[in-house]
Amino acid sequence: MSCLEEKFDQLRSVYPAEMNSSLVLPLLHLMLKEKGHLTESDAVFIAQYLDVPPMQVKEALTWYTMLYRQPVGKHVIKICRNIGCSLMGAERLIEYLERKLGIKEGETTADGRFTLLAVECLASCGTAPAMQIDDTYHEQLNESKIDQILKELS
Amino acid sequence: MIEITIDNKTVEANEGETVLQAALRNGIEIPHFCYHPCLSIAGNCRVCLVKVDGRPKLMPACNQTVAPNMVVETEAPEVQSARAAVMQFIMLNHPGDCGICDKAGECRVQEYQFKYGMAEPISIEPKHHKKKFNYLSERIVLDNERCILCSRCVRFTREVSKSAQLGIVERGSHSYVARLDAQPFDDPYSDNVLGICPTGALLSREFMYKSRVWYLEPVRSVCTRCARGCSVNVWRRKKHWYVRSLGEEKNITAYRISPLENPEINGRWICNTGFDLHKFMARPRAMAPMMAGNTVTVDEASAEANRLLAGATNPAIILSAHASNEELQAFKEKLSPRVQVYTREDYCPAEGEVVEDDLLIRADKNPNSYSVHAMFGQKAFSAAAGHDVVIVWGDQVDYTSLGNAKIIHLTSYAPEQETRADVLLPISTTFERSGTFCNFEGKTNRFEQVFDKPKLVQHASDLFGRL
Repeated sequence: MSCLEEKFDQLRSVYPAEMNSSLVLPLLHLMLKEKGHLTESDAVFIAQYLDVPPMQVKEALTWYTMLYRQPVGKHVIKICRNIGCSLMGAERLIEYLERKLGIKEGETTADGRFTLLAVECLASCGTAPAMQIDDTYHEQLNESKIDQILKELS
Repeated sequence: MIEITIDNKTVEANEGETVLQAALRNGIEIPHFCYHPCLSIAGNCRVCLVKVDGRPKLMPACNQTVAPNMVVETEAPEVQSARAAVMQFIMLNHPGDCGICDKAGECRVQEYQFKYGMAEPISIEPKHHKKKFNYLSERIVLDNERCILCSRCVRFTREVSKSAQLGIVERGSHSYVARLDAQPFDDPYSDNVLGICPTGALLSREFMYKSRVWYLEPVRSVCTRCARGCSVNVWRRKKHWYVRSLGEEKNITAYRISPLENPEINGRWICNTGFDLHKFMARPRAMAPMMAGNTVTVDEASAEANRLLAGATNPAIILSAHASNEELQAFKEKLSPRVQVYTREDYCPAEGEVVEDDLLIRADKNPNSYSVHAMFGQKAFSAAAGHDVVIVWGDQVDYTSLGNAKIIHLTSYAPEQETRADVLLPISTTFERSGTFCNFEGKTNRFEQVFDKPKLVQHASDLFGRL
């Protein structure tokens, strides 16, 4: 963990002192990047580092869906299922992705390449239906566009 | 002082106070779940919504600070319908299993649903299910389905007991109260959350299914487990509900202990040791007088004690710090001129017990050391003083430290080691008499009699009259 703690220290240095609680989320994100998914013991680690109650970190960890608590594949596909996208056919696209990848929503492919998550609003209603793969937005989707996007991913 | 109007009644409110506080202080009831006078304001349950003149929407009374000439209505039609709607929402996923819930009868959700809720749910969706038996610790079970997420317990652990061991995890209708998976809820004040929980979510595992609460009644008492002397309620069966055939021991069972509000001494809280007071009191008793290991009558034992005292050249007594002020006074008047007086701590901190903290727990594990020391000073017994008869008052006696003296032992509980006492006289416990203790700050606190004493047991104050 010492390498991680160095990164923690770096981040901490740019925050005002005595504002430990504000560092909870940045540290969770940092740790997620390092470890792929987070467990309760990671939350406790951060809590001890920041000297805040472990439950406070666990609350944040369980509240945010983007903080994965299970191992995920190399690429995480988050496809919107909220109303805007649903009106534009998102439900069909989710089914299409499930068929194409051979997994159900919330699962990871056997080769570990893709995890499929249905999420709530991605704030891209104007260009619905939308999905986010890792940190990239893909908008105005249709089935052939999805085929193309997945093909281009390594 | 600010004057505000609540329901056409002019009431005086303190500056900075909330509408809810002003209303409650003036005897006006506004329903509330998440508001608790000792905790921060969460404002999440919404059942305290009231109409405030000049505001476009209903305001939560718990979070609305009073202002001069404010006009509040708590029973306006829109308030009533909002309340009913909030109750619909709170009951949306509540199982409504009052029939098998220990909290029934003293449950805020039940009370408000009955009073303000609608008879039928309007939702056609199936209820959301959560984990029902969630063991937070050896002492507490959490039923997540019954929980209404008022966060009182969470705020208690963060603001009062400071362990911060509880939190609300996940979100939306999936959220629930939880602790860390790796650490039980072992806060020394954990059981207070049972009392502040407005529903049957947090329940005592020890009291679980022992009795319906409406068979029980509270009796004012004082916790004897440390020098704080917290006010407690001891819950006994109501006379009306006495069992008259099998299971008569239920009639003399202390079912549970709960904190009794006493702003001078303990506020609204007690520690877990206090919550276990009834178990402490239920240890095996000394039930009959004994002489040299044989059971005798009260008269025989008293006569022998008198004979020993009359023949003694250098008698002594070791006082009990569990004796009440009244008993100490009786002793002072009747017996103290004739004997050398020593004091001791009947109970010392047990292994693993919290010795002392900043909230309530005191290092002296006896309730009345203050009065003993004030009346008789503080002097430990020494066998070297050559006493030939020693009266030992109280439990937990190490007979070997008493030398070769003849021993008259006044005790409520059966001695843990084999008794070497020449005369053993059983005396009543604090549950079997009324009286007062002075806590470590010298504050007097009164306890009432909960049960009748067993037949062969005597009150220490009566006993001194006979010796």
